[in-house]
Amino acid sequence: MDVLGVILWTVAGTLCASIVSLMPALHIYNVSGILIILTMGAGTSTLIPMPYVPVFMMAMVVGWAILNTVPALFLGAPDESAIFVVLPGQKYMMQGRGYEAAALTGIGALAGILAMLAASPVFFRALPKLRHITRPHLFWIMGLIITYMLMSEWPKGSGRQKTGWGRFIDGWKNLGAGLLTFLLSGILGFIILNKPIIPIQYSFQNIMPVFVGLFAIPWVLGNIFCKTEIPPQYICRTADLDVRFWSRGGFGGFLGGMIAAFLPVVTGGIGGFIAGHATAQRDDRLFIISQGASKSVYYIGSFLLAFVPGLELTRGGMAWMLRPFTSAHSYEDYWRIMGVIMLSGGISFFLLLLYSRLVIRLINRINYRSLSVAVLFILLAVVWGVSGIMGLALMFVGTGIGLLPVYYHSRRMNCMGVLLLPITLNMGGVGQHVARFMGLV
Amino acid sequence: MKGITHFMTGVAVSSFFGRAVEMAEYDRSWILILGGMYGIMADTLDFKFYAFFSRDDHEVSPDPLRPDARTVAAQIGKAIEQAYDENRMVKIKCHTIRVGADLWRQYVIKFDAEKGEVVVVMNPIVTTSQIPYVGTEPKEHRVGRYKLRVPLVETHGRPTVVDIMNGPQIGFKRTGDHVIVEFIPFHRTWTHSFFVGFLAAAVAALVASLGAGWGTGWYYGLVAMVAYWSHLASDLTGYMGASFFWPFWKKRTPGLGWFKAQNPHSNFIFNYFCLIVTIFNLNRFTYIDPVSRTGHYIAASPLKYFLWTFIIPIGAYLLLAKLFGRKEKEEKEGVVLAEQAMQEEAVDQMEGQFT
Repeated sequence: MDVLGVILWTVAGTLCASIVSLMPALHIYNVSGILIILTMGAGTSTLIPMPYVPVFMMAMVVGWAILNTVPALFLGAPDESAIFVVLPGQKYMMQGRGYEAAALTGIGALAGILAMLAASPVFFRALPKLRHITRPHLFWIMGLIITYMLMSEWPKGSGRQKTGWGRFIDGWKNLGAGLLTFLLSGILGFIILNKPIIPIQYSFQNIMPVFVGLFAIPWVLGNIFCKTEIPPQYICRTADLDVRFWSRGGFGGFLGGMIAAFLPVVTGGIGGFIAGHATAQRDDRLFIISQGASKSVYYIGSFLLAFVPGLELTRGGMAWMLRPFTSAHSYEDYWRIMGVIMLSGGISFFLLLLYSRLVIRLINRINYRSLSVAVLFILLAVVWGVSGIMGLALMFVGTGIGLLPVYYHSRRMNCMGVLLLPITLNMGGVGQHVARFMGLV
Repeated sequence: MKGITHFMTGVAVSSFFGRAVEMAEYDRSWILILGGMYGIMADTLDFKFYAFFSRDDHEVSPDPLRPDARTVAAQIGKAIEQAYDENRMVKIKCHTIRVGADLWRQYVIKFDAEKGEVVVVMNPIVTTSQIPYVGTEPKEHRVGRYKLRVPLVETHGRPTVVDIMNGPQIGFKRTGDHVIVEFIPFHRTWTHSFFVGFLAAAVAALVASLGAGWGTGWYYGLVAMVAYWSHLASDLTGYMGASFFWPFWKKRTPGLGWFKAQNPHSNFIFNYFCLIVTIFNLNRFTYIDPVSRTGHYIAASPLKYFLWTFIIPIGAYLLLAKLFGRKEKEEKEGVVLAEQAMQEEAVDQMEGQFT
């Protein structure tokens, strides 16, 4: 494998991801899945030379992890990992600082990449042992994450009711909505995992319409019906950020991203949320940097784990898709892919700044509500195109559940129950009983 | 300590129970989740249940259209004097001031024990994310002071910021010849006692016994009780303390004052230590060959393990924090704005005296 080829396919992968990431609803795993089917159906690549496939795919993942901030932040169409960036990001947008927020997530992503580079020796020594130790315990560790997610939400009532019970009911509205969201998402997850209603030809896109319904559509609907008006956006020249702040946010995000990358189903947003609590972060800027790092480390790190010598751990959609075709076990493979991550990360960061400027120019010219309506139609079209009419039906169910936290001000993260609940229960050996009880098997 | 720290402490202490770890590994038991759940339980009982039923003697509800800091300061001051005169706990609920769907008027309450006064400052309007709209502070009666006729002791250590969602409850209690200010007086009372921990664990034991029989159920209770008690032990490291021996001794036992509950460094180090301890214990009770119960994935001695995984990394962390960490005290933005307003008020008064 020559260096020029690696550079070439890294740039190609990054540019390819940069186009995909601008399209709301499209996930890099959907596109790469199609790409793999089209080019590697016979077990060998016809489009990309076989040795460069992991390089190209890693560059795609890196590009996506950094650039998917653009639709999430500016168009209000986040995926399951970017959902945490949207709230503080939109707040920044309302202050005319959307560009700054986008840049902060990019800066966070770079911090996360550097942290992965610095932690590589620890990966080699610690992760294989950690994997062996935790393997039989993963089900309850994931159960712990669910428990903490649900128990750590705070009541948000006004406290103005005259009686204690009145205050209790008022305070528990958002908590109850959070629990209900998690439960309904979990039930939906059981249904789609045990009895997929998507036609067989679209089966590999089973989960995508649900995610669009749970996470993206409620935001877009909110922007349309709340008549969100975005003030003119300021393009800042510096981020006014010191190294201490950057490293704190990056460190927290790295921890969160690695938790998410190491554990199945846990996303970058959830990992970042837990790490943010564990490192006691409070500041908005710190939070955005941390989420930028967490999101990137989650996507990149989960694929990178497949390259850690002696670990043999498959996490994340890309690693699973490429597993039958590639195997990398040497240190040389690891460092090469690390180089790809660094190069692609650098290019993606500058593309993030460029794309943010372009989208801001668009937002400044077009009414934001009209833009949100256009985004809604794009989401509908993509879901319909990728998964058919049944996909649209699933998306609508997801939207119904995804609107619950919007109206009751509970955590949107609870929508992740769609995967967390069924998979955790399956791993703990209870899932089949629940599925049987629900009449699904 | 923060919620996650209690949660992780509960998990770490429950991992010391070898049988629990083995039950999780071989019987697919969820017993170790009880560690986290009961680790955070005492605060859950306080903030999600008991807080709603804590009686208010007075309610501060400032006018959203004409917020007057003097009225608020006087209301709070009179409640303090009432606590002194009637020699009982007087609790006051400080409601938030909602001025729009996502907008709130922030105000700050400062108990100045040295000068014997209550100071209230009306701050700018903030969003639900506590971002202030500069220039929206009231033009009149922004700072209000109430001179107390009774001596005061303030234990919270910093001004109270009231802004979004649900405002705090503040309690005043006469102790000797002065009044003590207690922030959220419902917190760390009966829920933070060893006895309630025992009762709550008994519920876990009962439920587990129904499913798995008493022979196993009591063990669930034991794990839950130790996790609950770990919460009390870690609260002992702070300043506030708790009513550890309720109902036998209802007074709050003061904490050791080692760390502030919100201190990011102590919370992070504690959390990291809990993680390292949990992995240590999982390794201890997990065998490479489970049949002969031999071999561990980490073969290092405990000393070597903790040296490499805890002492060296945390030493490096503390060194970096010392070298590059923030030197000045971190203050909430609302408190900084209130302090500025108080200084401006003092300057205005001085200028008034000279003109």
